[in-house]
Amino acid sequence: MSIRSRYLRKVPIVAMCLVLAQGLSAQEHEHEEGEVETGRHGGRLLEDGDFTVELAIFEQGVPPEYRAWAFTGDQELSPDDWRMSVQLTRLGGQTDDFTFSNTGEYLLGSGIVEEPHSFDVRVSASYQGREFNWEYESYEGRVLMSADLAEAMDIGVRVAGEQTLHQTLLLYGKISPDPKLVSHITARYPGLIQSVMPSLGDAVSQGDLIVTIEANDSLQTYEIHAPISGIVVDSHANPGEFAGDQHLLTVANYQNVWADLNVFPGEAQRIKSGQEVELRMGELTANSTIRYLNPGEGLSPHVLARVPLSNPDLTWTPGLLIEADVTVGEFEVALAVETNALQTFRDWQVVFIQIGDSFEIRPVELGRSDARFTEVLSGLNPGDRYVVENSYLLKADLEKSGAVHDH
Amino acid sequence: MINFILRSSIDQRWLVLAIVFALSLLGAWNYQQLPIDAVPDITNVQVQVNTEAPGYSPLETEQRITFPVETGLAGLPNLAYTRSLSRYGLSQVTVVFDEGTDIYFARNLINERLGVLRSQLPDGLEPEMGPISTGLGEIFMYTVSALPNAIQADGSAYDSTALREIQDWIIRPQLMLVDGVNEINSAGGFEKQFHVTPDPSKLLRWNIGIQEVVEALRNNNSNRGAGYIEPNGQQLLVRSTGQLQTFEDIENVTLAIRGDVPIRIADVAEVSIGSQLRTGAATRDGVETVLGTAFMLMGENTRTVARDVAVKLKEVNATLPNGVVAEAVYDRTILVDKTIRTVQRNLVGGAILVITVLFLLLGNIRAAIITMAVIPISMLGTFTGMVSFGVSANLMSLGALDFGLIVDGGVIIVENSVRRLAEAQKQNKGLLSREQRLQVVFDATNEVIRPSLFGVGIITFVYLPIFALSGIEGKMFHPMAITVILALSTAMILSFTLIPAALALFMTGKISEQENILIRALKWAYHPVLVLSLKLRWLVLTVAAGLVGFCILLTGSLGSEFIPQLDEGDIAMHALRIPGTGLEQAVRMQLALEERIARFPEVEKVFSKIGTPEVATDPMPPGVADTFLMLKPRDEWQDSNKTKADFLAELEKAVMELPGNNYEFTQPIEMRFNELISGVRADLGIKVFGDDLEQLLLSATQVQAIIEPIQGATDVQVEQLTGLPILTVVPKREVLARYGINVSDLQSLVATAMGGETAGLIYEGDRRFELIVRLPEELRTNVHRLERLPVPTSSFIDGPGYVPLSEIATIESSISPNQVNRENGKRRIVITANIRGRDLGSFVAEAKQRIQSQLQLPPGYYVEYGGTFQQLESARDRLTLVVPITLLLIFGILLMVFSSFKDALIIFTGIPLALTGGVMALWFRGMPLSISAGVGFIALSGVAVLNGLIMLSFIRRLVEEKKDLVTAIVEGAMTRLRPVLMTALVASLGFIPMALNTNIGAEVQRPLATVVIGGIISSTLLTLIVLPAFYRIVHWREIRR
Repeated sequence: MSIRSRYLRKVPIVAMCLVLAQGLSAQEHEHEEGEVETGRHGGRLLEDGDFTVELAIFEQGVPPEYRAWAFTGDQELSPDDWRMSVQLTRLGGQTDDFTFSNTGEYLLGSGIVEEPHSFDVRVSASYQGREFNWEYESYEGRVLMSADLAEAMDIGVRVAGEQTLHQTLLLYGKISPDPKLVSHITARYPGLIQSVMPSLGDAVSQGDLIVTIEANDSLQTYEIHAPISGIVVDSHANPGEFAGDQHLLTVANYQNVWADLNVFPGEAQRIKSGQEVELRMGELTANSTIRYLNPGEGLSPHVLARVPLSNPDLTWTPGLLIEADVTVGEFEVALAVETNALQTFRDWQVVFIQIGDSFEIRPVELGRSDARFTEVLSGLNPGDRYVVENSYLLKADLEKSGAVHDH
Repeated sequence: MINFILRSSIDQRWLVLAIVFALSLLGAWNYQQLPIDAVPDITNVQVQVNTEAPGYSPLETEQRITFPVETGLAGLPNLAYTRSLSRYGLSQVTVVFDEGTDIYFARNLINERLGVLRSQLPDGLEPEMGPISTGLGEIFMYTVSALPNAIQADGSAYDSTALREIQDWIIRPQLMLVDGVNEINSAGGFEKQFHVTPDPSKLLRWNIGIQEVVEALRNNNSNRGAGYIEPNGQQLLVRSTGQLQTFEDIENVTLAIRGDVPIRIADVAEVSIGSQLRTGAATRDGVETVLGTAFMLMGENTRTVARDVAVKLKEVNATLPNGVVAEAVYDRTILVDKTIRTVQRNLVGGAILVITVLFLLLGNIRAAIITMAVIPISMLGTFTGMVSFGVSANLMSLGALDFGLIVDGGVIIVENSVRRLAEAQKQNKGLLSREQRLQVVFDATNEVIRPSLFGVGIITFVYLPIFALSGIEGKMFHPMAITVILALSTAMILSFTLIPAALALFMTGKISEQENILIRALKWAYHPVLVLSLKLRWLVLTVAAGLVGFCILLTGSLGSEFIPQLDEGDIAMHALRIPGTGLEQAVRMQLALEERIARFPEVEKVFSKIGTPEVATDPMPPGVADTFLMLKPRDEWQDSNKTKADFLAELEKAVMELPGNNYEFTQPIEMRFNELISGVRADLGIKVFGDDLEQLLLSATQVQAIIEPIQGATDVQVEQLTGLPILTVVPKREVLARYGINVSDLQSLVATAMGGETAGLIYEGDRRFELIVRLPEELRTNVHRLERLPVPTSSFIDGPGYVPLSEIATIESSISPNQVNRENGKRRIVITANIRGRDLGSFVAEAKQRIQSQLQLPPGYYVEYGGTFQQLESARDRLTLVVPITLLLIFGILLMVFSSFKDALIIFTGIPLALTGGVMALWFRGMPLSISAGVGFIALSGVAVLNGLIMLSFIRRLVEEKKDLVTAIVEGAMTRLRPVLMTALVASLGFIPMALNTNIGAEVQRPLATVVIGGIISSTLLTLIVLPAFYRIVHWREIRR
């Protein structure tokens, strides 16, 4: 109904129709935010009588630092004539003290003003024997939320601390038999097969008599004994058949098999022999280590990481396709947070810490990570309570003033 | 001419009555056809072309879809402009046509072009036109929900997928049949889909690609007809069935043979009922639900359609499975009924007051009834006119009707006739013969018909400037002007046809024109005042002039607004979250929000639409929700003194506590209009056009920096178009080449794996559900797993037959544009600013000048200016031209009537005098100036002129009869006291109910009524006191004679 009523406030239709209201006075709208008064250097003005301090955080081309100027009336004072100090109290009670030194043009604060620039500021200055004190709040990236509300919003908090990171890499591969434990049995002398003891699938032990053959030349019958213990997995021999060059039987021992994992060039540097591997096939899992890397014959760009696997139950049959999580790194880190907790705010990676009803960003420098945790190099202290679940809500709350509905 | 009409009306009085009766019947019939709505429709002629492009990012949407569609539609006849937005998965091009273009013609043109366009769009994308509906179109909403203990046939509880299925296949098809419904839009729940989710490692084992799964399903899912055979003379149709129907059917589809073993779907994949990747959701009272919205066809009757939908929904409810209910949550009928009831109550109340006054002052029941008859008859005539002009009955169109004004013309004639008939009877010492009676009626009518016609004519005339308004103001107020003009002209015609005829017919018998006690008392009081004012004429004039001056000053202290806001009774609240917020996250936040809102005892129900509904009538990003709050009627509130504003304040405070949400408060209809019209909603909009988004953003920031320091600039903002986090799979081309994989293979694999690919439809009776192949949910949502996704390759015979995705592509996450806006075929970014404490014109001029001199744009980039300042300027320009012309014309008419400059001037001075009362009444009631009040002032000028006209014409006649000037003035003023009072009283009393009403919709009419009442009181007093004095001053020379 009142589309645009806000903006058509001064529609002069009425006035015109009636030659009435030429001078509809424009309606003043009060400024909604209590804006901070800023001075000629872009800093915050702190006034006390005719003495004014302008305190600015300067961060163009240098790490954020404090610069200060002072005025009496409109007159800028020489930095020789006055001194000051600043104390910042951050959420959680940590305080940063700044003393100021003379650069000739302005007073320069000692040290870097660490992000986030969210603190209670206490400024003291002295000029001509007079002391001045100011206190003000300067918060950014802070959200206030009562404990009830935080609970209702399912905000989950953990304590940051040391953590063991397991970095893993998912590889695919195949089970293959140990070549030493597969025996293809052939006839030493061509001849007629007299008898075959084991049938397909029978287990044989090393030394067991398995085939007798009558040699063509000598017409002597000779015996073939099992060279290894194992299972007869292939059989092409029946009594009365001629034994020539062909494999008569294949005996294989799958008690020990290999997992051949395909390692592609992009991940080759990270895979080394000796790394722990968890092998998976559906529900089935087994643990082992990489024995060696086999570059293959050079026909394919990938190498094989070979993992021995004992297979007493014969559940890992050769040819089976498997997944393997290779532990490529495992280390203790002094401080880590859950990766879910990380949010982006401006161009920082941040976590939100909780102190009482306040939640505040902590820009963090991140190190290594595994599937669940990420190492924090700086920006957070051990023991800090940080938000894991629904940290997005806090980010959304900080940025919400920018949320508008464009059609 | 008039003489002739008068004469024949009196002679053919029965015929006149019969014609009027017939026309009334026509009016009554037309009343049934009259569209009834709450407010006038201010939507422009527009067609939305929506193209759903699942999986397309904003930039791809723009490049592949929006651009071809936009260019394809360029150059249509009557095209005003196009604008478009490209979002994730949706391209929407809005084509706006010139006012007055036939919507069906426009849609035809577009349809024709779209046919050609389809070939230029990516395969499988279909541009579709939005519903033929307007801002008033969303007339009915309902939710589908399950009772707590309801269970489905298979024993499980109803989830939102099941409810959506019921909405899509049971409710929607039936509601679509309701006459006047153009679309039923569904939001919320999940469309049911059959999902085949292959396990990548199982696929790898059998060396089967995900594409082969899709192919296998496509090739094994159809029925085929095979003609017929005719054994034994009987025709037998042959068909072969192959459609997949059950889970088992799907699981048994064979993918490949490995060795001797057939590999079936079941060997590599799970088959389940899954849910779509939805773009929108709906919630109600803190629970997810399914929401249906009925769209009314453009030009239909809101009330009828909404009512029919409600009735149908009740019928449909009976056919729903046990325990499932579809419940209306928003029904426009309620609002329409309330507003119309308010209008009716006002009109009826006004009519009763008018009749009472007529009876009291005329002292003759028959005369009163004849006058009163004008009201219904002219209303019926108005309805006929409204139907043929296509004006709907609503708050605005009926809002300015004042029965007092309508009967004014009639009152003058009836009053004069009654007086003359009574005098004639007195002279005749008894009843008059029929001929005598007819003659007296003729003479009496003839005597006042001209001033009466001129007066009413002028009241009509002053409404004409309203037609000069264009755009939204025009659409808002044209219906009002049309209706008032129709009603007044009908009444005018009746005043010289029906009224004389009826007077001639029914004013038989003794006319007791005893001046009743009231009139005599008034006259007794008036006489000394009149004499005194003639004596102190200069003082009177000075006081009057002072009063006018004072009121001009007073006007400055009144606030101003466009038009008062129609309180729709319900609240629509946008809940906004930052770009990039996921739908499920937004749903969780919305549920918490609703749960909080529902705790207010004033809220009857709260429901929301999140993101984009099925038909993208209002494409919102997933982070934005339209939240509707249906409030209980005011009398059920615990604290009955609480106003809606109080409640809004409480609400705002409560919801602001919830983290992560930002809000905009509006009302359902208001919101819809905003969405559809959607120009630049700020005083000044500076649009930068160009090609490169980065450059646009840069230039826009520069513009912002240029504008901000200009005095008067506030809320300078650059449109927020970025902020959408995107995960990009960037193929490594040289590695791809080594493995012999095409980029498109990689892309389709990623698309299928993450987004899913349709492999056909599964039919269950009429219902059809998509069969989708995509990765299992736990793999799909895990970026680390995506990196390891095996991509099949056949390039190395001995190799493993695959390569992990991370080997051939890098996966990057970045922030990209969340929306690309275009206007007239060019990308654009808007910088908006509001202007405070400074006049718009000079600000805009300065801004333009500064931008021109300071802004460096690359070649091909340009700046345009828009915003409400344009409408404001155009409205002001039109009115500065039209209003003086109208006033001049009125003056011309007066001059024509009186052939005297002086007299015309005297009457004309009545206008500012009348306005003083209006201004003071507004000030007294603390109301701001608004267009509604302005219309009141318009009506007022008319009444003021009418008053002066009645008074002056009589004085002049008396002067011409060679009476002494002062005697003539006094006698004339005394004689005319009654008609002046009567016209004034009826006109102001007719508006009293409107001024006092507090029901829904009354706020729109209240200022108008207030102005008229205040103005008429002052105008009447001043006509009675100042006008004679002024006449005396102006005509001082004649006193000597």
